[in-house]
Amino acid sequence: MNRVIAFSRRNFMEIMRDPLSYIFCLGFPLVMLIIMTLVNESIPAEAGMVIFRIDNLSGGIAVFGLTFIMLFTGLSVAKDRAGAFLVRLYTTPMRSCDFIMGYIAPVMVIALAQVLITFAASFAISVITGIKLSAAGLGASMLALVPTAVMMIGLGLLFGSLFGEKAAPGLCSIVISLASFLGGVWFDPDGTGGILLKICKALPFYHSVHAARLAASLNFKDFWGHLGITAAWAVVITIAAVLVFKAKMKSETC
Amino acid sequence: MSAIETKNLTKRYKDKCAVDELNLSVNEGELFALLGVNGAGKTTTIRMLSCLSEPDKGECFVGGHSCARESGRVKRLIGVSPQETAVAENLTARENLELMCGIYGLSKEETKRRISEMTELFGLDEAKGRAKTLSGGWKRKLSIAMALIASPKVLFLDEPTLGLDVLARRELWKVIKSLKGKITVILTTHYMEEAEQLSDRIAIMIEGKIAAHGTLAEIETLTGEKGLENAFVKIAEGGKTHE
Ligand SMILES: Nc1ncnc2c1ncn2[C@@H]1O[C@H](COP(=O)(O)OP(=O)(O)OP(=O)(O)O)[C@@H](O)[C@H]1O
Ligand SMILES: [Mg+2]
Repeated sequence: MNRVIAFSRRNFMEIMRDPLSYIFCLGFPLVMLIIMTLVNESIPAEAGMVIFRIDNLSGGIAVFGLTFIMLFTGLSVAKDRAGAFLVRLYTTPMRSCDFIMGYIAPVMVIALAQVLITFAASFAISVITGIKLSAAGLGASMLALVPTAVMMIGLGLLFGSLFGEKAAPGLCSIVISLASFLGGVWFDPDGTGGILLKICKALPFYHSVHAARLAASLNFKDFWGHLGITAAWAVVITIAAVLVFKAKMKSETC
Repeated sequence: MSAIETKNLTKRYKDKCAVDELNLSVNEGELFALLGVNGAGKTTTIRMLSCLSEPDKGECFVGGHSCARESGRVKRLIGVSPQETAVAENLTARENLELMCGIYGLSKEETKRRISEMTELFGLDEAKGRAKTLSGGWKRKLSIAMALIASPKVLFLDEPTLGLDVLARRELWKVIKSLKGKITVILTTHYMEEAEQLSDRIAIMIEGKIAAHGTLAEIETLTGEKGLENAFVKIAEGGKTHE
């Protein structure tokens, strides 16, 4: 436990001292929230397009924000693997599970802080625009986003262990674009239907966004299905990430 | 009991034999210098002894524990200062030392005591700011302090004085000398004067094999040369004519 705490502290400090963390992890979701609210204000009511209305937008942006947590995790793991520091730690009593937990814990804290900030801003926007958003709903939505956060961190760990400092962030950007698009953050796949909806449903992001939105509106009828699918993905991805990290650690110490 | 023992230790990279049937024994409290030209296999040997690399053949023991089967025990005994400086760049010197204390599970009081000891020993209070802003030499001192902080029984120093100025090198020699007899130190270096000054015994590696070993006097007698540098050149060049 000592080892996990010591390594988590180091990772947390490394992240907090990198100005990029604030831009990507906290600033970017806020900016998107504001821009999309302004876009929403300029859509005429008779268009009937509500995807950017704050009650829909907040959950979508929260998932979008978490994809940056993935980028961040991937980047820090890949960066560490490129340097001599991690190899030095391999000669200490640190075990692979200490490394993994030490990477996951601090980004989990940052992920939760990010969701909190996104939802606080959403609440302010809902008050200003007069669209109803309940604090209880946002609280439930935050809990509903925990599996998504775990999944994103797992994906980051996976990409960071598999690829180098250059390739990992590139691949993460692809996932960021895909996740926000196929997750239905920028359009309504249910309204589109067809093959696109099938693809969306085959991937976890659509379910993450829906779980977050349904929880926010305190509508739990279809919620559990979406949450279950997200949680299942989170478990599978995390297990894969742990196995890959362990295998990589072993092959790098050969 | 020897602090370090290798038995036919061998490591191959593709066709290249980096370490070739190495048999080595280092006594407890001894300062043992591993010399050799670039690519002789010094770092590879240290990597295997510090459980970073698995041998293709043979085995090695640290403090009587097998690096292959009891790596957990071995890792508790050793401190490693790698050839490349290895510090957490965004942390200060003190935070780097605290990190190592945390990893080795030192208590709060021990952490405080060891950090002030290391800070004094290496003059680290001069190293202000994040590690990435430190000069190469200061980073190296920090890297060595990190290897020493948890009071290892066996210390590996892979080219510890690389990139240090003359004064800093002499300072570090003093630190290393002060460890003599207390802990076992394996040192690699390209500076013959350093090996002469510090080591109890010396081994000269050529292409993964030990070409000569013993005290400085023994090596001088063996080669009939005066001074380690001349003896080293004779052995190293002698090794080449075998090709
Ligand atoms: N990971 C690796 N893959 C392939 N070859 C390697 C690897 N590591 C070391 N070698 C080879 O093994 C040989 C021994 O390398 P090693 O780093 O042990 O030398 P060294 O004695 O430490 O040299 P130097 O004085 O330059 O540090 C070299 O020929 C090197 O090219
Ligand atoms: Mg070397």
